Amino acid sequence: MSETAQDQAQAPPSYRASAGKNTETLIKLRELRKEFTRGGETLRVLEALDLDVARGSFEALMGPSGSGKSTLLNLIAGLDRPSGGTIEIDGQRIDQMSEAGLAKWRSNTVGFVFQSYNLLPVLTAVENVELPLLLTSVPSSERRKRAETALKVVGLDNRKDHYPRQLSGGQEQRVSIARAIVTDPILIVADEPTGDLDRVAADEILKLLETLNGQLGKTILMVTHDPNAAERASVTRHLDKGRLK
Amino acid sequence: MTLTGLATRNILRNKTRSFLTILGVAIAVVAFVLLRTVVNAWTVAADYAQKDRVVTRHKVTFIMQLPKKYIEDIRKDPDVAAATYANWFGGKDPKHDTEFFATLAIDSGSYFDVSKEITLADDQKAAFMEDQAGAVVGDAIAEKLGWKIGDKVTLESGIYPAQPDKPWVFTIRGIYKATMKSADRSSFFFHWKALNEGLPEKRRDTIGWVISRVKDPSKVASISVGIDKMFDERDIQTLTQDEHAFQASFLAGFSAVITALDGVSIVILLIMALILGNTIAMGVRERTSEYGTLRALGFLPRHLVMFILGEAAALSGIGGAVGLLIAYPFVEQGLGRWLEENMGAFFPYFRVGIGTAVVAFGASIGLGLLAGVLPARGAAKLKVTEALRRVA
Repeated sequence: MSETAQDQAQAPPSYRASAGKNTETLIKLRELRKEFTRGGETLRVLEALDLDVARGSFEALMGPSGSGKSTLLNLIAGLDRPSGGTIEIDGQRIDQMSEAGLAKWRSNTVGFVFQSYNLLPVLTAVENVELPLLLTSVPSSERRKRAETALKVVGLDNRKDHYPRQLSGGQEQRVSIARAIVTDPILIVADEPTGDLDRVAADEILKLLETLNGQLGKTILMVTHDPNAAERASVTRHLDKGRLK
Repeated sequence: MTLTGLATRNILRNKTRSFLTILGVAIAVVAFVLLRTVVNAWTVAADYAQKDRVVTRHKVTFIMQLPKKYIEDIRKDPDVAAATYANWFGGKDPKHDTEFFATLAIDSGSYFDVSKEITLADDQKAAFMEDQAGAVVGDAIAEKLGWKIGDKVTLESGIYPAQPDKPWVFTIRGIYKATMKSADRSSFFFHWKALNEGLPEKRRDTIGWVISRVKDPSKVASISVGIDKMFDERDIQTLTQDEHAFQASFLAGFSAVITALDGVSIVILLIMALILGNTIAMGVRERTSEYGTLRALGFLPRHLVMFILGEAAALSGIGGAVGLLIAYPFVEQGLGRWLEENMGAFFPYFRVGIGTAVVAFGASIGLGLLAGVLPARGAAKLKVTEALRRVA
């Protein structure tokens, strides 16, 4: 068993344990539409889309470029507003929330994993992981403890004082995953999390996501172009021209 | 780590750029402080003008002379406590012909009673009074030119050229000190009688101006009008002003220069704001995707505004502080002393005022914040999804 996997197996109890795979719906989209206006022309990216994602599932979204995968992920993560329809996450209508309310909701509910990791270069690994906790009332010493615990989960506690430039791509993505789980969110959204990684590093990241889903019960929604990555998810959905196939 | 810590890290992110920006602000602050100090040094005499003194001069210009008998009329005014007079001699020492110092022929019997800002030891004053060819000099010019009591000094004047058989030779009998920072410590005083008797008959018995100490400082305006009224029907009319107005009218000759210096001061501040604005804008542009990440993690637009304005204020504040740390010793220990010793007539007191330092520091922070407003506004308005797509 790898160092990472060992740590994952010994994940601290502070993370919300999953009640196991169930059929309760966490994400419910109805008649979801998204349009963009470019140079006076209206582009329909998503059209009357309905989707239910069960709590505790690990789903992959695939599709050609421009099919609307990332747009859909952004809408579910509360980063963008729909042009129509409803988005209900864990019983909350996020399409009706104010900007400030949505920001707070994101910080409590969603963990983000980006293709380019999006770590702040001026912060060390542990400080990057601590970042989302700055918005909470958690005391400073407790924040650091939680960030170190999250780094342990991804097997990088020995690199906690390294800056992103001192880490490999795979390690940076693991720090990014630690940052995504430090607030113990119920949903993790990952946009091409292995897109910038070689096969070995990509495999490690996917294993980590599987563990977060399997051991900690995190619901994971992953956009990917890579069929190998999609195979690791429990459900794969295909999006084409704004419609789910 | 804290939010402040995060903002601080951004300042140190590009050390060369931050260093150059801080240096740019510091140089701008030094230039601003020097310019303001020049303007303040020029106007300090007016600012510290005695409130109980009025100056009477020729109505047309202070270059033209008044009849000496006017002093007696002014002394008879019941509102005047004491009055004295002086002539601008315009002399220089041929041994030190590049040195400028004010040379005044004074009414020795009354001048020191009216001019309380200069003090002279009693024994020196007595020696001066006894010697009609005596002179009193300021301690700054005495130290600079190595003059001591008893030294003989020959002056030359373009206004009052010496008679062939009567050179302007004086013996230093006293060295005065100043009790106020606005007082010139480089003047050369000698007896008006010595001047008068050394002149051809037709040029005698004229005075440059009269300085009067009034009994009630709150009535200087009406007393000034009263003095001028005395001479309304005479051949030569007068203009009497309180000392502040007199100094201000003297400064009016330099008003174009002072206005230009004020303008340059503002331009320097604007350049400083542009330097800061450019640095902040570059930083914000480079970090757009990071701001997108922060927004995705739940940070609000106001957090970004706080980071950006905090960074701008910190950069400009540090630059301002560095500028003051350079300017203060430069003026206090170097330039200021040199100017006071060498150009005391123009700059009797050339020091960085607290007000100037506060304005310079406040302006650097204020303009830093101003420079950060547009970039901060732009960052706050960015859509999260667009910001995340940007690659630095």
